[in-house]
Amino acid sequence: MTTISGPAQMAAQTPSRVPRDWSAVIKFVAVLILALVIVSPLFLLVVASLKADRFQILADMGSFRAFWVSDPTLQNFREVWTFSGALPFGRYLLNSLVILFVTVLGGVFLNSMAAFVLAWGRLPGRAIILTALIGLYIVPQESIVLPLLTLVNRVGLSDSFAAQILPFMASPLYIFLIYQFFIQVPRDIYDAATVDGAGPFRIYWSVFLPISLPVLATVAILLGIETWNQYLWPLMVTQTDRARPISVGIASFFGHDSVYWNSAMAASVMMMIPVLIFYLAFQKWFVSSFISSAVKG
Amino acid sequence: MSIREVPAAIGRRRRALWDGRVQEIAMLLPALALIAVFLLLPFLSSFRIALTNERLIPRPVPPRFVGLGNFQQILTDHDFWRALWNVARFTLMVLPVQCGFALAIALLLNQKLPFRNFFRGLFFLPAITSMVVVCVIWATLFQYPTGPFNQIVGFLSFGLVQPIDWLGDPNWSMPAIVLLSAWQAYGFQMIVYLAGLQGIPESLYEAAELDGAGRWQRFWHVTMPSLRQTHVFVLIITTIQAFKLFTQVNILTQGGPRGTTDTLVHYMFTAGFVDQRLGLASAVAILLFFIVLVVSLVQRFVVRDRK
Repeated sequence: MTTISGPAQMAAQTPSRVPRDWSAVIKFVAVLILALVIVSPLFLLVVASLKADRFQILADMGSFRAFWVSDPTLQNFREVWTFSGALPFGRYLLNSLVILFVTVLGGVFLNSMAAFVLAWGRLPGRAIILTALIGLYIVPQESIVLPLLTLVNRVGLSDSFAAQILPFMASPLYIFLIYQFFIQVPRDIYDAATVDGAGPFRIYWSVFLPISLPVLATVAILLGIETWNQYLWPLMVTQTDRARPISVGIASFFGHDSVYWNSAMAASVMMMIPVLIFYLAFQKWFVSSFISSAVKG
Repeated sequence: MSIREVPAAIGRRRRALWDGRVQEIAMLLPALALIAVFLLLPFLSSFRIALTNERLIPRPVPPRFVGLGNFQQILTDHDFWRALWNVARFTLMVLPVQCGFALAIALLLNQKLPFRNFFRGLFFLPAITSMVVVCVIWATLFQYPTGPFNQIVGFLSFGLVQPIDWLGDPNWSMPAIVLLSAWQAYGFQMIVYLAGLQGIPESLYEAAELDGAGRWQRFWHVTMPSLRQTHVFVLIITTIQAFKLFTQVNILTQGGPRGTTDTLVHYMFTAGFVDQRLGLASAVAILLFFIVLVVSLVQRFVVRDRK
């Protein structure tokens, strides 16, 4: 039996093994090509931003030279940065960074504090507040921006940093995400801290915050991307360069008769760099935070 | 503990409890106050504004109550129905393209593959690219008549197909917006599908293989049914996102050419911000809210039905 089935199995396996190895190679090459095609627009952007001027960019666009730059120069970036181009891009970039850092730091702090009280506090009415927050989560930003604009105008916050930070720091979604993490913390941990006589803030600060880094990172990443990409709201609320973010700045290139491709591309690369740095450093967390934003249901 | 110490101890405990309450309120209040002022208040006041003829920059005459006049005006406005139709058209086109592509890539990445994490990171790159940057890139790709897209079309058709003015031709403007939107956003659906695929137990595939199911049968009879919840979630989220379409349209086409890419949010933006007709725009905002609400309720319903 064994002497027969051994070679028979071999014979059955051998023909299928060779194509299987080949199919792995083919699959790998297919994925590689697909990935290159998908990423090629981004590659094209970086290459174009290094070209001499917009005439060069436009001239190269119709051929494979679009993906190649023979004499790379940082001239476009210099123009964008030193305001000698059409618009003060350095200013827009700094504005965006200020808005980003304040919103994310404040947002993580305020949302997690509120989530802690909702999860472990003793105040009456926590369940009602939580239900109301979940209900509010569904309201799309797009459908409140106009009343929000009148409100902001009325209190004299228009064209300010505050108008772009305060409305988005606290958010039902992020409170709920952190809440879901907090309620899974074992009761013993909370009890041990109360026995020591610590008040709610002490428990939150020195017991709960240190163990909730994953969910805080998730909220920071989601809120960060959301803030960085804001467009409709800053488009309406900023009238001058004072607090205008880079997204609106880049978009304003399109209004002109001939788009300043070189400046638009250099500015776009500059807008991507901070995100890319964070993405490369925390890639795993980026992906997992997008997933956890998905399973909030 | 002696009898005399008991009241003091109770007092201490009460004090601690009271302090705790005060601290809790102080911790909860900042977030709640911000949400109340910047989310709840504007949301509620949009219902009030929608019933008036309020302007963005107040006129000397106080706003007047107009009842459902704004809704009546919208619902009889041809441009509004066109915007609604455009959003529906966009949704119907972007759903299969974006979700189908996301599922395909997720299936590829779910297999044994060298450098799998590297590829996943690469495929996710467009998702972290800001829509404004995406517009800069795709405006160059769509350049008329010599942009890369037209070159590829000309090359593949041996020059038979004339260059297309992607963003300027009423027939092509919406498909062009669909394409760049799907490219930017599919990464999210891709990782949701990847998570869903990884949740399918290996034993199901082994059982199917024992039953003699081929690769294709395993896909249709094991993978697809197991992904049911994921499908529902992905379709709902993509639909809600699609109904909010604005940024790329505002930057690239301003709703044109000939209104073929005018969307609900763009219509609202034009009415409220450009034309300053706040009441009218608020009515649109409320309709948008109810559309999103209904779509989310459908999701809740379908998911609960399953459980």
